[in-house]
This record gives sequence, structure tokens and C-alpha cells, in this order.
Amino acid sequence: MRRPLIGLTSYAEQVKYNGNDVMAGMLPMSYVKAVHATGGRAVLITPDDPGTDVLESLDGIVFAGGGDIDPAHWGAEPHPETDADPVRDLSELMLMRAALDAGLPVLGVCRGMQLMAVATGGSLHQHLPDIVGHDRHRAAAGTDPLAADSSSFGRHDVVLQRGSRAMGMLGGRVTVNSFHHQAVDDPGRFTVSGWCPDDRIVEIIEGRDRTFALGVQWHPERTSDLRVFAALAEAAAHRSGLSRTGLAA
Amino acid sequence: MRPVIGITTYVEPATWGVWHDLATALVPHDYVAAVTGAGGRAVLLPPDDLDADVIGVLDGLVLSGGADLDPELYGAEPGPLTVTRPERDSAEVLLARAALEADLPVLGVCRGMQLLAVAAGGSLHQHLPDVLGHEGHRPAPAVYGRQEAIFAPGSRVAALMGDDRVVQCYHHQGVADAGSLRVTGLAEDGAVEAVEDPARSFVLGVQWHPEVVRDKRLFGALTAAASARKATDKTAHKAKSEAAGDPMG
Repeated sequence: MRRPLIGLTSYAEQVKYNGNDVMAGMLPMSYVKAVHATGGRAVLITPDDPGTDVLESLDGIVFAGGGDIDPAHWGAEPHPETDADPVRDLSELMLMRAALDAGLPVLGVCRGMQLMAVATGGSLHQHLPDIVGHDRHRAAAGTDPLAADSSSFGRHDVVLQRGSRAMGMLGGRVTVNSFHHQAVDDPGRFTVSGWCPDDRIVEIIEGRDRTFALGVQWHPERTSDLRVFAALAEAAAHRSGLSRTGLAA
Repeated sequence: MRPVIGITTYVEPATWGVWHDLATALVPHDYVAAVTGAGGRAVLLPPDDLDADVIGVLDGLVLSGGADLDPELYGAEPGPLTVTRPERDSAEVLLARAALEADLPVLGVCRGMQLLAVAAGGSLHQHLPDVLGHEGHRPAPAVYGRQEAIFAPGSRVAALMGDDRVVQCYHHQGVADAGSLRVTGLAEDGAVEAVEDPARSFVLGVQWHPEVVRDKRLFGALTAAASARKATDKTAHKAKSEAAGDPMG
């Protein structure tokens, strides 16, 4: 039996490597390794392509982290700290809506979770420190947030809604890393199922219907706790008839 | 649905935005633009040596450029200037062999051409200036060498390239023995510039970088071969379904 094929949205960025300085389609290997470690096969979906036909090849999709979403998509003016990539926004909003319409299992990570909300009519807080009065959702100012390891992120707890799909996966309380300055305000078509207990910032959203759709505000791919990636792989395998449970159903 | 073209990625420590030397799957965006411009849908294939099942969803494959192949793959000791990426090698050799086996249309670029030759039982020169006595194929860091290629009459590459035979090179290794492939292009100094497998639908390797000029002659031929294969697959699938009395076709 083949592994479920999991698409990962990627960036088009000017990057430096080995003395090169080029525009590249790219994604940190931590996402790729998280998919491979949980039984999937990762392919990267570049953000500049005007079409959603690629979804027909996939069994599941991860919307990865990255920059801010243009607030015009929920009818707001940009905050001075908001820095958006319009090309990636348009491409990923189109992919998100098509994936949800097709019932493709979806996992949103950080920006990816925020995209789930915005794509379904929700909205974001553009700069958390303005709302909660502290900056603990991202690494301390002046530190390199990912240079060493996940300990460079801010860390905090998340409490989960009893009876939610996320609680079935993660239990009632988890400690997570954190690196973001925006957050979900209105979750759109999704239900909030996890919060930071200190400030009630939304940390998890999930779908109400049978389709697997889960968004997390933290970065599980940078930790050894890959349960949300495993859940995506299982849902993807099930949908495509690649698992034993899928065949039995 | 457009033909899905997989592009193998580099894995390099990359620097962008706030991130420094983060292990990243990346490929120069030129490859993606070349595939998109030729009517394909690009997906990026980060290395994964567990299996090559991903070729089941591909209609065509681009083996991208990058670092040197491990000389062990062709039974040689590494030379002093040979720089390898073992993670890519093991995954891409698996992928290349499976693609050849499945008669998937393949375009190999630079390292990708060398990989095709090695997968076909051939071998490489580990440092071309030692063989040729000049640095014309990689004149300086990040500077392409301009070569005028000579193509074998009647070959695929000769038909595709026509009269415009000027190519942009950037490599220090080269094909010494093309194995079961046919050498169909040479530089004026005798360096191998193109290899093909006349026994397969579309297997072409070029030592130069057609993606930097978005060369529709080569990328267009790849996507055309990929579309043709896709159409054949569909017909075969339909015939099989009808024979089995499957009303879903």
C-alpha cells in the first residue's frame, strides 16, 4: 500500500545558500520530516501557480507557516506591523477553499490556521501585543527565533475544549511552542477548540463536519510531538482507502 | 487537469528573513516558472528514500541541478573537489530508476543529467578542468559559461534545439560514460552536453541550464510527453474499467 501523499504549501522567497542568492520555491525541512515521520509522502506546492488542479493528486494538505495575511481579505486596514505577501495569499486562499470544498483533509500550521479562518469568512488580530499587552507568543525581542531549536520559541500552555476532535488527539492540556504576532479573532466556518489559558488567544480551530480540518497556532513540526501530523496522515489514508481502517469502513 | 511535473529539490542550510542556516528543501524558482510556462503543474519533491511511489501521481519528472553525486554510485573514490549530498543521492537514484522503469518522461538538468547517466550504469569525471584543461564550463562563482553545443543528427535534442545551439553551463563535473544512454550533444571541447534514451518515450539529460531562460523547447517537450502519457493512461484505465463492467468508468 502506498503512503498518503501530503501536499505542503511552500514559499517563493529570495534565499541565500552556499554563496547563492536566488528566488527559490522552498520550505523548512522540519515540515517535510514531520510528514515522513508520520507515514506520509511530502510534496511541496508552490504558491504562484494559478490553479487548484494539483489537489486532485493529493490525499491531504498542510498549509504551512509564513508571513502575515493581507487584512484586505477580511476587510481591514493593514496594521503598521503587518507584512503580507499578496501572491502567496491569493494562491493559498484559492487552494484552501478548493481543498475544503473537495473534502480533502487539511492541517493548518500557524499562518495556515489563520488562513483557514480568513478563507471561510473569519478575521485576525493583526498584532497581538496590542491586544494582550505582552509579547510571549513569540520569542524574546532580539533573539533568533529558530536558530538553535524549538526552545527559542516562546512557550505556553493550551487548554482544549472537552469533546472536541483536538482533545481526542491531544488531551485536555498541552504545552506548546509559539512564534506569531497575529492570531485568529473570528474563526470563520470553524470552531475554536483550544485557547491559551493566560490570555484566551485562539490556539486550535477545527471543522464541525466529517472532513478532517484542524488548525494549530503553534509549530508542531519543530517538536517531537507530531500527533497532529499523524492525525492528518491517518485521515488522508482513510479518505483515499489506503489504510486498514479505510478498507474496513 | 494539467500534467503534474515533479521537480526534485535541493536540501541546503538556507538564510532568509529572520532565519539563518535553516535546513530547507528548495529549488531555484526558475524551474517552477519553466514548468508552469510550458503548461505543467509543478510539485516539488524533497528527498525521501523510503520508496518511489510518488511517481504514481506524476506525469513527468525534472531531475534538478545541485551538488556532486557520490562517486561510490559509480564505483570511484571521491576526488578532492567533490562535494556531495548523500540524502539527495539515495532518494534521487531510487526515483530516477523507478521513473525509467515506469517510462515516465524525464528531463535531467546538470546534476540531473549526470544522475541519469549514473542510473543507466555510467560514470562521471569528478573535475572537468583536470580533463579539459580549462574552466570554461564554470568560469567563476555564480557565472554561467557560454557553450555552443553540437548535436547528433536525428537525435531528439537536435530536433528540439534547432539552429540556436548556445547554452549556459555551470558545472565542474561531467559525464565520462553515459552507460546505456546515447550521448547526443557535445561541447566543442568534447564535454558531454546531452544524453538520451531512444528506447524510452522521453528521457533527455542536458548538462546546461535551460530553466534559467525558461526554455520552452525542452520544458515544452517534457510537458507534451507528460500530457501524451497521461492521455494514454486514461484511455487504458477507461478500457480496463469498461472491460470489468465498472459503471463508474
